[in-house]
Amino acid sequence: MHPAPSIILFTVLSGFGFGLISIVGLLQFLSQISAVNIIIFSLIGLIFSTVGLISSFFHLANKKNAIKSMSQWQTSWLSREAISSIFCLSVVVGNIGWVFIQNRYINEVGIVLFLLSLFTIFTTSMIYAQLKTVPSWNNILTPALFIFAALGGGSILLMDYASLVLLLIFGILQVWFWYIADQSFMYKETTIGTALGFSKNENIRAFDVAHTNRNYLLNEMVYKVARKHAIKIRYISFFAAFVFPMSLTLIFPGNFSVSVFMLVFHLVGIYFSRWLFFAEAKHSVSFYYN
Amino acid sequence: MTKLPKCEDKKLGLLIDLDTCVGCHGCVVSCKEWNSSGSEKQLSDINSHQKDPVGTFLNRVHSYERENSCTNETETFYFPRSCLHCEDAPCVTVCPTGASYKREEDGIVLVNEDDCMGCGLCAWACPYGARELDLVSGVMKKCTLCIDRIYSEELPPEDRVPVCVKSCPTGARAFGDFNDPNSDVSKKVKERGGVDLMPEMQTKPVNKYLLPRIKSKDSVGSVGSVGEEETDATGLLGWVDRALSKF
Repeated sequence: MHPAPSIILFTVLSGFGFGLISIVGLLQFLSQISAVNIIIFSLIGLIFSTVGLISSFFHLANKKNAIKSMSQWQTSWLSREAISSIFCLSVVVGNIGWVFIQNRYINEVGIVLFLLSLFTIFTTSMIYAQLKTVPSWNNILTPALFIFAALGGGSILLMDYASLVLLLIFGILQVWFWYIADQSFMYKETTIGTALGFSKNENIRAFDVAHTNRNYLLNEMVYKVARKHAIKIRYISFFAAFVFPMSLTLIFPGNFSVSVFMLVFHLVGIYFSRWLFFAEAKHSVSFYYN
Repeated sequence: MTKLPKCEDKKLGLLIDLDTCVGCHGCVVSCKEWNSSGSEKQLSDINSHQKDPVGTFLNRVHSYERENSCTNETETFYFPRSCLHCEDAPCVTVCPTGASYKREEDGIVLVNEDDCMGCGLCAWACPYGARELDLVSGVMKKCTLCIDRIYSEELPPEDRVPVCVKSCPTGARAFGDFNDPNSDVSKKVKERGGVDLMPEMQTKPVNKYLLPRIKSKDSVGSVGSVGEEETDATGLLGWVDRALSKF
């Protein structure tokens, strides 16, 4: 699949933003955070998720109809994502306003924020995980990876040892995801044979192209990534998003300026991870262009 | 509405005979022509007469070669690919704006361009690559089964079929109601064993394909046995052959 920068930025930035909001919500529920910090970190989360959502808006080819995307929540995960993110951000704004005016907070609002932002991250991941056409996405690892990447990133600024646990889960899921993605079409039934109505093991190959130049389908869904670079990018991503923040947290626990530094590395790593998420995903339409 | 209706009345679709198709791209051209005419609908082209032309098409014809395990010969065939108007159309349910929908009365899958925001998710959800985003108008385009022809009251009755069917010079494409067991398309599907594309995707396509007939050893043998060394020519040609063979 085509790794569009607008979509990658959307999943990385809004993922981190909602991850941070959910961590703030959890700490608010457990009374482990000061009122000032609720305001500061909720605002950071708000800015990141909003910038992410604006970035996704730039992916649309017909922006004037974007508001209509709130209408089909009964069947569409993208519609649910739009509604849930707007609703969650409204609650965040309300919470910030309340804490700012009253200088105290309601614990129960924290758990609502925690669950709402987790649900929003889940809806984002389901936009991809629902697609049977892309087997490497079409499994439970996609939502798990999105949620723990967001929680891991969100916890770096606010937690010490708890963030180690969240990052560790993220790291394990990431490696597991890559392992499954490498063989995704091996355990699926689709081949060029079934794509053309024959049996699975039919010996067929394309001998001429259907069109002389590239087209929307090829640009969007038959993205070819150089395999040798893909492996290198996996190493870079894993080091930046997981190994580096983990080791720095162990060496400098509770050092805020170090955690800001770690966060930058982590987000760059997540960006590479998401680039691979798209670039390495194989869509079933590619069989027609074998 | 992106909820899928139960189409119990009619299931209109195409039956494509890969045994007959000669890969002339006539259906591609006539589809583009019909669906680019008129004021509102456009299938745009960019750089159409320059380097790197890109355009939107609702129908594409691929060319493949297949190894015949019976004769060990390679056979070529042509494969027109367009929307299959699936019963469980994944492109409809993923649509966030309600622009994609499936008609209850005849099962045709359509895009309401006034609602489409051009996110492209329906094109990702389609296993067959049947949808293409028009890069000029910014909305999703797909086969309409020529809904403006099949229900037209102005066209003569014999023209009230999709333009790809009407224009096919070999009669490889047929249009009809797959829900009616007595329709021509249903009878042909039964008789020749019409197949679904990617049945494992569970989309339940309405369009069916008839696969190339498998050539037997004998049919290939009669061609293959004509050697260069021998001829059964008689008369003048036979004399020339015999005369030349003596050198």
